[in-house]
Amino acid sequence: MALVGNIRDFGLSDFLYLVDRGYKTGCLHLNRLDDSASLYFDRGKLITATRNSDRSTVIELLVGKGKLNESEGREALSVYQRNGSHPLSLKLIESNLISHDELQRVLQQHIEESVYILFGWPEGDFRFEQNQRPELTAPIMPVPLPVEHLIMEGVRRIDEWGRIKDRIPNTDMIVKFIDQPGDKAKGINLAADEWRVFARINGKDSLADIARKTNMTDFDVCRIVYGFLTAGLVDVLRQAPPVGIGGRAIPDAPRVKKSLVSRIINRIRGM
Amino acid sequence: MQTVKMVISGAVNAGKTEFIKTISEIEVVSTERRASDDTKLIKKETTVAMDFGRIAIGDDLVLHLFGTPGQKRFDFMWEILSEGMLGLVILVDSTRPETFRETNRIIDFFISYRDTPYVIAANKQDKPNAWSPEELRLALRLPPHIKVLPCAANDREMVKDVLLGLLDVIMQRSDD
Repeated sequence: MALVGNIRDFGLSDFLYLVDRGYKTGCLHLNRLDDSASLYFDRGKLITATRNSDRSTVIELLVGKGKLNESEGREALSVYQRNGSHPLSLKLIESNLISHDELQRVLQQHIEESVYILFGWPEGDFRFEQNQRPELTAPIMPVPLPVEHLIMEGVRRIDEWGRIKDRIPNTDMIVKFIDQPGDKAKGINLAADEWRVFARINGKDSLADIARKTNMTDFDVCRIVYGFLTAGLVDVLRQAPPVGIGGRAIPDAPRVKKSLVSRIINRIRGM
Repeated sequence: MQTVKMVISGAVNAGKTEFIKTISEIEVVSTERRASDDTKLIKKETTVAMDFGRIAIGDDLVLHLFGTPGQKRFDFMWEILSEGMLGLVILVDSTRPETFRETNRIIDFFISYRDTPYVIAANKQDKPNAWSPEELRLALRLPPHIKVLPCAANDREMVKDVLLGLLDVIMQRSDD
């Protein structure tokens, strides 16, 4: 079943987080006015992306960028069409027409440029089709791209408070690292300001404290922490319990006896 | 007569009234009025005060079910309703990702400052394009120990399973 919605309500970085943590395979189709994009994922990682229904093959892309000449491209495609059962990208490497690293660099740059611009869309319908795969001749990266990398870059382009405040309502909140970031931190390259904030995270300082200690604005600190949060590196917590109505602290749920809970369970089971 | 209370919360049109109607032994006391704000775009009548249902557990014990009003302007009611509650069900309309942020706000309100047993009910699982419970867990960024249970609020067995799921959480933290 497809997941549908609008990125105005459920942001692109939130969706990328879901794809990553859910190890999703499939295609995220985005549409806004006359613009469209399709992002293909394999087990939570991005393998290729296209804009405006561009169906160029990896060979056409490489010829266009001067990485292959036209005759090499025609020959490779002809051979591939006779017996191709794996992505054409990998065949080009096997045939020594381009090195693994060079192909990865060219395709990653091309695909990132297609994706980053999408973070600037204020709204747009999305539809995620599970298990939909790109054509084998598409510009599929030899090494799929971790989405944390995309999320961080996308968040760098956010220039309004609205989206950030959904997750970080105020600067009194405390930032702490999640208990087991695992491999998540490995795929992320941080800019200098991001490192400055990263180094100040200690589970005690609030966002306001970090802003003061780094001489950065509240907005910049919140935007950077929002990126860490969206990429699943940190958590933000409220500082202290508020006071309830009439100046009373909000009480916890009452503790009850197991025998009472058992009676309710038995009653509901019997209904 | 001892009474215990569970609270059923969720965004506008998440299915709270239906959920209580499906399981309550009494006609649900509902103060529904014609909606006067943008909620009328979603449904003609929406809960502006609260729903109240009741299940008799025995001669000496009654379970009350309270549904919270969905609209933000009735937030002040949440705190009153949540006093002394045994646990909380948060309903999510699994077909409407535009309500996930509001759902997170509701979870944040009830959970941030107190130790409340709660479960998430992924409602409207019988509808096309419903996000699965596991997809909702990721979308709402819920930790693994929080139960996200499939639900169709008009299905008595599913509603029972949600309440039993919550009671299981309450049981784990109750006294001998």
